[in-house]
Amino acid sequence: MSTRLMVNMWGLLFSLLAGSAGAEVVVVVSAQNPTKTLSHAELGDIYLGRLSRFPDGTAVVPVDQRETSPAYTEFYRYHLEKTPTQIKAHWSKLIFTGRGQPPARVANDTAMANAIAVSSRAIGYLDSTIIDERLRVVAIE
Amino acid sequence: MSGYAWWRLNNLNEMKRYSLSTETNIAQYWLHRLLEPAVLFSGIAVMALGVIWATTLNLANREQVSAERTAAALAMDIADTYEAQIVRALREIDTTLKLVLYSLDGKSAPSVLDDLRARGMLPPEVLFTVNVTDSLGNVLASTEDLDTAQQGVATHDYYRFAQQTEGMVVGMPRFDQESNDWELFFSRRAQGRNEGAAIIVTVSVHAGYFVSSYEPDVLGEQGVLALVGNDGIFRVRRTGTAISANRKVDYETMVAVSRDVETPAKLTVNAWDEILRYTVARELFEFPLAIVVGLSEAERLAAVKELEQTYLWRAMLASLLLLIIVILLGRLSWKLQRAQFHNMEQRVAHAQRVEYLAFHDSLTGLPNRAFFSQLLTQGMNHSRRYTQQFALLFLDLDRFKMINDSLGHDAGDELLQEMGRRLNGAVRESDVVARLGGDEFVVLLPKIEAIRQAEIVAEKVLSTVSAPFTLAGQELHITVSIGVALFPKDGEDEQSLLKSADIAMYYAKEKGKNNVQFSSKALNADSLERFALESNLRSALQNQEFKVYYQSKQDMNGRVTGMEALLRWQHPDLGLVAPMEFIPMAEENGLIIPIGRWVLKTACWQNVAWQNEGFPELSMGVNLSARQFLDKGLLDDIKTALHETGMAPELLELEITESMVMYDVEQTVQILKKIKKMGVRVAIDDFGTGYSSLSRLKDFPLDSIKIDGSFIYDTIDCTGNQKLTEAIIEIGRTLSLTVIAEGVETLEQLEYLRTISCDQFQGFYANKPLPPEEFAVAMREIYLAPQARL
Repeated sequence: MSTRLMVNMWGLLFSLLAGSAGAEVVVVVSAQNPTKTLSHAELGDIYLGRLSRFPDGTAVVPVDQRETSPAYTEFYRYHLEKTPTQIKAHWSKLIFTGRGQPPARVANDTAMANAIAVSSRAIGYLDSTIIDERLRVVAIE
Repeated sequence: MSGYAWWRLNNLNEMKRYSLSTETNIAQYWLHRLLEPAVLFSGIAVMALGVIWATTLNLANREQVSAERTAAALAMDIADTYEAQIVRALREIDTTLKLVLYSLDGKSAPSVLDDLRARGMLPPEVLFTVNVTDSLGNVLASTEDLDTAQQGVATHDYYRFAQQTEGMVVGMPRFDQESNDWELFFSRRAQGRNEGAAIIVTVSVHAGYFVSSYEPDVLGEQGVLALVGNDGIFRVRRTGTAISANRKVDYETMVAVSRDVETPAKLTVNAWDEILRYTVARELFEFPLAIVVGLSEAERLAAVKELEQTYLWRAMLASLLLLIIVILLGRLSWKLQRAQFHNMEQRVAHAQRVEYLAFHDSLTGLPNRAFFSQLLTQGMNHSRRYTQQFALLFLDLDRFKMINDSLGHDAGDELLQEMGRRLNGAVRESDVVARLGGDEFVVLLPKIEAIRQAEIVAEKVLSTVSAPFTLAGQELHITVSIGVALFPKDGEDEQSLLKSADIAMYYAKEKGKNNVQFSSKALNADSLERFALESNLRSALQNQEFKVYYQSKQDMNGRVTGMEALLRWQHPDLGLVAPMEFIPMAEENGLIIPIGRWVLKTACWQNVAWQNEGFPELSMGVNLSARQFLDKGLLDDIKTALHETGMAPELLELEITESMVMYDVEQTVQILKKIKKMGVRVAIDDFGTGYSSLSRLKDFPLDSIKIDGSFIYDTIDCTGNQKLTEAIIEIGRTLSLTVIAEGVETLEQLEYLRTISCDQFQGFYANKPLPPEEFAVAMREIYLAPQARL
């Protein structure tokens, strides 16, 4: 509980700092995708390879960014409450034991926006400033 | 107590018989011993403890062995899986390297990588990075951002190795400061280009990837999963959550542990962290690497060790409980056994006591009649078998009844006890002393060779017994009469032998007591009469066979002054029996008391009857025997006789012998005083024969003395007797006693007595003892002519 609280507080602090710069990582889908909301758990499961469908039953293809991108760290810290090391360890195990493949990666927010726009099955995350009409922000509850 | 030789012999034989039967029962004896509570409980306890501990240790051992096997098998299983996973992962990496090299084929490296990535043919970027370097070590393209990867790698080992080697090269692990992780490098050069340097493709992998199958649930906190190069350097090693690399170990030693796939996991101390593990190290076939799998022994066996501890505690608890129960049970049974033993001991003691009482005289502790009879029978059997003879001494205390009556039963008992002690002291250890009852004792002298031997013992007994006794404060001289019978001469069975000894003893009594007599045939014949007489005597009183005769007492002028009552026994077969023949017998067996009582009463009655007929007041002399005199009922008897007959006391004159008076002077004076108090007169009979102290005579309250007939008989011829007679008359006169001469038979004697002034006389000259009818006739004659015969 306390760790979660701490994470929330860090998130708050970060969002305040980011807010001053006007930047925020948001989860997006294609505008054609009917999905409007996802829970934290659903989002986490999708990105950790445990869930392969949207709540409406359509297949989901998560898209990731490179570790070097600012949105990567922010996304995993804020929405999945995981560090990059944890993510590495997670995928190490799944890949090594042959039980899963991590999401495909794009170089940056722009590439992400383009990748999501063209696929109604895709889900991704990017800085809120990059959002355009092709994308829809999914509310994470 | 004397020993009993035959008795012992018999017991010895019995014991031999028992010991023989014991030998055959040795097995039973030991079985019995084993079933004794102490042994039984200890045995059961030891067995139960053995079972408990054997079971516990066996169980613990089995658990341990099973756990060890499980651990070893698990290590093998994990190793199998891990090996397969590693081989697949390495092949994938090698495939990637080959794919990139193939795809390059003169094209621009970045475009090739982009193309391959777009096609999804490169491994996931989250863990894998692909670099392409030129022959100078400059990075031409990378799946990572170039700005970070753009440094030269010419100095890196994997680069240099790859330049020199065909095939995939496994580089040294490198620690990435930025991600805080170890990285592993796999590289391959382009084939067959130039003789010089070639393009190198490298895949760097997050090291944790190779040990990501570490399951804490299976491998625990101290397990190990590792990849080691054939150079002995760990490429990656994981224990718990800690991932490390780059440490060097002795590869050969490690791999030698399990080069064969079938070789089970070995329990070894791992060199790198000194932890004992079930370790499997297996070389990979296609790659210069080996996998290492280790399961911590401490962790794997912790549960078992705990279980073992539990078992041990339980066993200890069970043992303790068992011991407590056994101790309690043992204590209980011991108590029970002791109680039983005590009970049995008491019973045995009681039985022994009963047996002792049954066979021993309670007063003296000597064998009693029953036991003696047994001993005698055994003695006879023994003597017959060995043709020996033995002697039987029959003892009877002289005058015991008198002592018993006069001094009381307690004194009598004490005397008998002392007798027992003295007899035992006088004979050998092997001789038997027994008490048959009353004052009768017997002594059995086994193995007598000559009569003389028995005589010596008998004489010794006589002298021992005659030593003075102090009884009830008085010194007494006790004597015994002993009859001796020899086996088999005097009787071949118990009864006849005892009878012979008994008869001999009676003979000894008759011979004046305090002597020994040997049984003989003549004696036996003589005694038969006596026995008949004695048995008749008992019934004589009832059969009214006794008669009282009377003899007159006269003064010197022939005037009748009184009479003396004399007892006669009219035996139906033998005729008139003289008092000398039956009075001692009656004295001995106590019949004298009722007989005396009857005489006293009869005499008194007769006297009163005669006076009623008109006779003058004549005195009546009645003799008292010694036993009668000392009898406690004497005074009552006299009173009763006087009262019932109405006799005037002053006419009754009791005559006692001189020896009776001297037996116990003090007591005699007491009795005489009481008699005198009643008004009855007392005379001393047979005076002159009892050696009485003349000086004591004055102390006795007497009325008359009667000079013994033996003096009178000789007075005419013997001057000595004349002098004595005169002296007695002088004493009588001095003490104011009436002096009566007995046994006067002739006129000569009477004349003489008249000259020396004797008071009265008695004897055949006056008249012989007569039955009452004749006496009455005689009296009338005398009264009719008083002077006629003088």
